[in-house]
Amino acid sequence: MSASTDIAKNPAVLAMPSPGLPKFDYVRARAPGEVSALLAEHGDRARLFMGGTDLFVQMRDGVIAPKIVIDLKTMPGMTDIAFDARSGLRIGAAASMNAIAAHPAVKDHYPLLVEAIETVAAYPLRTRATMGGNLCNGSPAADTAPAALVLEAQCVVMGSEGEWTIPANEFFLHVRKTAMRPGEFLTRIDIPIPPEGWAGRYVKLGRNAGGDLAIVGAAVMGYPDKSAGSGYRFRIALASVAPTPIRVPAAEVLLAAQPISEGLLDEAAQLAEAAAKPIDDLRGTARYRKAMVRNLTRRALDDVWQQLQKER
Amino acid sequence: MTTKESSGPVGTNVKRIDAQEKVTGEALFADDLQFGPGLLFGRIVRSPHPHALIKRIDTSKAEAYPGVKAVVTGDDTPKQIGLYLKDRHIFCRDRVRYVGDPVAGVIAISEEIAEEATRLVEVEYEVLEAVLDPRRGMEADAPLIHPDLADYVVPDFIFPKAGTNIPNHFKIRKGDVESAWAQCDAIVEHEFKVPHVQHVPIETHIAIAKVDQRGQITLWTSSQSPFAQRNLIAESLGLSQSQVRVISPYVGGGFGCKAGVTMEALAVVMAQKVPGHPVKLRLTREEEFFTTFVRQGLIAKTKIGATNDGKIVAMRTEYYWDAGAYTEYGVNITRATGYSSTGPYEIPNVQADSYCVYTNHPVGGAFRGFGMPEIHWGIEQIIDLLAEEIGMDKAEFRLKNCIREGSVIATGSKMHPVGLAECIEKAAAAIDWGKDDPPSALHKKRGKGMAIMWKAPAMPPNAGSSAWVRFNEDATVTVGIGGQEIGQGTFTVMAQMAAETLGVPMEWIRVQGPIDTRYSPYEWQTVASRLTWSMGNAVVAAAADARRQVLELVAEHWDEDIENLDIRNGEVISYQSEETLPLKNMVVYGLPKPEDQGWRGGPIIGHGNFMPSYVTGLDPETGQGPRSVVHYTTGCQAVDLEVDTITGQITILRLAAAFDVGKAINPDQVRAQMEGGAVQGASVALFEGLRLEGGKLMNHSFVDYRIATAVDMPFEIIPIIVEVPQDDGPWGARGIGEHSMVPTAPAIANAVANATGVRILDLPITAEKVYLLLENRLQAGS
Repeated sequence: MSASTDIAKNPAVLAMPSPGLPKFDYVRARAPGEVSALLAEHGDRARLFMGGTDLFVQMRDGVIAPKIVIDLKTMPGMTDIAFDARSGLRIGAAASMNAIAAHPAVKDHYPLLVEAIETVAAYPLRTRATMGGNLCNGSPAADTAPAALVLEAQCVVMGSEGEWTIPANEFFLHVRKTAMRPGEFLTRIDIPIPPEGWAGRYVKLGRNAGGDLAIVGAAVMGYPDKSAGSGYRFRIALASVAPTPIRVPAAEVLLAAQPISEGLLDEAAQLAEAAAKPIDDLRGTARYRKAMVRNLTRRALDDVWQQLQKER
Repeated sequence: MTTKESSGPVGTNVKRIDAQEKVTGEALFADDLQFGPGLLFGRIVRSPHPHALIKRIDTSKAEAYPGVKAVVTGDDTPKQIGLYLKDRHIFCRDRVRYVGDPVAGVIAISEEIAEEATRLVEVEYEVLEAVLDPRRGMEADAPLIHPDLADYVVPDFIFPKAGTNIPNHFKIRKGDVESAWAQCDAIVEHEFKVPHVQHVPIETHIAIAKVDQRGQITLWTSSQSPFAQRNLIAESLGLSQSQVRVISPYVGGGFGCKAGVTMEALAVVMAQKVPGHPVKLRLTREEEFFTTFVRQGLIAKTKIGATNDGKIVAMRTEYYWDAGAYTEYGVNITRATGYSSTGPYEIPNVQADSYCVYTNHPVGGAFRGFGMPEIHWGIEQIIDLLAEEIGMDKAEFRLKNCIREGSVIATGSKMHPVGLAECIEKAAAAIDWGKDDPPSALHKKRGKGMAIMWKAPAMPPNAGSSAWVRFNEDATVTVGIGGQEIGQGTFTVMAQMAAETLGVPMEWIRVQGPIDTRYSPYEWQTVASRLTWSMGNAVVAAAADARRQVLELVAEHWDEDIENLDIRNGEVISYQSEETLPLKNMVVYGLPKPEDQGWRGGPIIGHGNFMPSYVTGLDPETGQGPRSVVHYTTGCQAVDLEVDTITGQITILRLAAAFDVGKAINPDQVRAQMEGGAVQGASVALFEGLRLEGGKLMNHSFVDYRIATAVDMPFEIIPIIVEVPQDDGPWGARGIGEHSMVPTAPAIANAVANATGVRILDLPITAEKVYLLLENRLQAGS
């Protein structure tokens, strides 16, 4: 009988994070087939490791106790970042956030992604942290998720039956639950070329400026589109205000349908507030979060709208 | 005593002597020390309940676990321990009083095994009703947390109330408050709240203890109080002080949390079970948040009145301190804040009741400022509110009422010379007080606010310092002190004072740790911003003693009057004969007598000490006495900030800090203290606070306990040095380490109120609180 099985039985013990990590086996994966086989063999007792910035914290906190940790970042292609003017951006799931944010093509073509990444924790941590891990973790507070949603990223997933693609919009199912099935893992995030003339903004509110998790995060992107009633289309996504990161279709429909005005931007922000279903937690109350969804969405809409008008 | 003109390094910006080894990583901290293969590790079994009786402990399974060497419990700690009031057992014996209270200690060959085995210790508890609010704790039917309070050992200036949860009640009765209200044209009354906060030193608590076969104890620890730890641990274990040796290398952040005895005694008791083996105990960050000292919570009720011409007439205050389960320092914080309860104002009628109340919360201890940041949170806001009530400018109101030389303070003592008014004027001018500066955007509101402060070293009346000064053959000098370098720069300042007094170049001075109670001279504790003043006096005395010995030797050698001799730049000179003699060699080997008739002199070692002799007791009913404290350091902070009305976020644009330090021995270090204090003060003001629910801490990590980072502090800090000399300070110096964060929170709150009209009475001033109050007001208006 191990000590850890006794912990659960002993209610008189003050549950505290351990000074070290529990014992586990570490496997450096060489090929997707090997990963699938290990996942099939070990099921819930196996965990995938890319940046490890969430994984090891959860292990130390006793939230999870994997027996085997499979390192994906050394597998071919997992940290690659490639850009093609027609197909867009391909980000290896284990590419570090700093590598993504420093990539010239990302800076040139996806400044919104850079802006979102730079709100995550602190620079030293982003040297380890990966965008793939940020999405797979399934946290509603993931800062790169709203950017992935409005940029309409595709999550490329590998499983025993081969590769398939999940649109970002369908990727998040619930807190810590994604659309990936047991035995599957993320290999790539593909981001298409955004529409001509687009502009984007990610506004994040934390308790302090340096490195907090989001109380609210709001991403907005907009672009000219003659087929829309307003002449523009917008996409809006929110973090930390629902069980998953969410899009706000009602506001997006409204902004496409009618000529853009201050009043319409107000109304869109109110629709974002209505779509948010936040909770009270240590970072903020639901009441404050609702108000912040409205105000930050409004601020981001305003910034994007001003950029769009400048570029006309 | 030693006030004099400086011609050497005193008063100059000497570079820190510990800078290079710290920047390069060479400096050693307790966890860097190596103990070889015999080292064992300890982990602690802690109470999961805020208040419970221990019915049974079974350690047998843990003891049988492979790799475990021993398990200790309260049975191994018969006597109580405590700095002032001896109110706790090192390991709990019959009762646990907070979540985290140590119940047993497991010693094993690795930290992991020790941790695993802690979970095998079976403890049966009978859960009791917990006290989670100090006012509840004062009620007649509240459960008693220390039923034996009446029997505890306590010094004569602390007044525990038997049969209650009140280990100290301090009173001020000056003038006649009740009849004075009638003279007031304006009266303001409010209640203010301060949460518990944590020191969050970058180095968590660590102790390594070893007991040899004769029972001699050595303790290596990150400590502000090596001598106090030696004394308290020896007393509690029934040992002679000479049987306990505490060695303390550099401290990676103290702020008060490493003063007194916290977890160090746990390591000692564990080491007693495995003689010959060093036992290392280091706290995880999570443990650091609530199992060592925290800053006490406070509820402050204050009523204050003034006449229309702006004169404060009366003030009545009640402090309810949430002291937690034990009161290492809490009882004395209660006392210090009681006698300082008026803030730095001369008020003729004062009534104050400062209650220390046991609760089933984490243990309250010393925290940079020792109660003063907590009480000034209310004092400096109610002063603003009173000034508003009578329609007077807030700086003018403060200038009109603040203490000056000769003012009669709350204890009836007369105020010594003080530069507070100058601090107010200079801080106000630095942020263009009275000028309405525009905000940077339409959705922002800009405002200015100020707060002033005072703080005295709060300590026993006879807290002492000692020092020695020893020459080496090449005339370099080793200075021995028992005060600790905790990042505040004291080694550098002591070197400056020694160099100046001896008359040798600064580079010749060596001040080095570790502090070792076997070899270092006695120092009470590195607390209370007292080292520059108290230990400084001892170093000056020791250096003067060594200097006198050198001059006596040379006077005899040259057959000259000692009055004509001096030491300048490492050489003895005669102003009469204009002869010179280098110190090299002769300070160890002495000087030959003429005609080969032998030698005179010998290795020079000077010693000195300092202890204040003039602090009197205070009347237990009225708190009145001729001299309650050694001195007060005073100062002012003025803040210019913006509030974002879209989010409630606060951006501090400018913060001016002016403090009367008596004399800046090292002006750059004084300015650095003013900057550091402003940053820590702003962090506590805007972000910090323990979130306790049912006695359990909900935010015991940096994920949810936010502290300011560099990017949170984009503002300009304007440090201003004011120097009105202290009569018994070296070159007139007073302390500054703690004072620099005392007024920050109320200064920010006053500026937020000035910007928005919204006033926050309970710390911290979060963006959410500001926003929701603004929204409430908007909704009420519409």
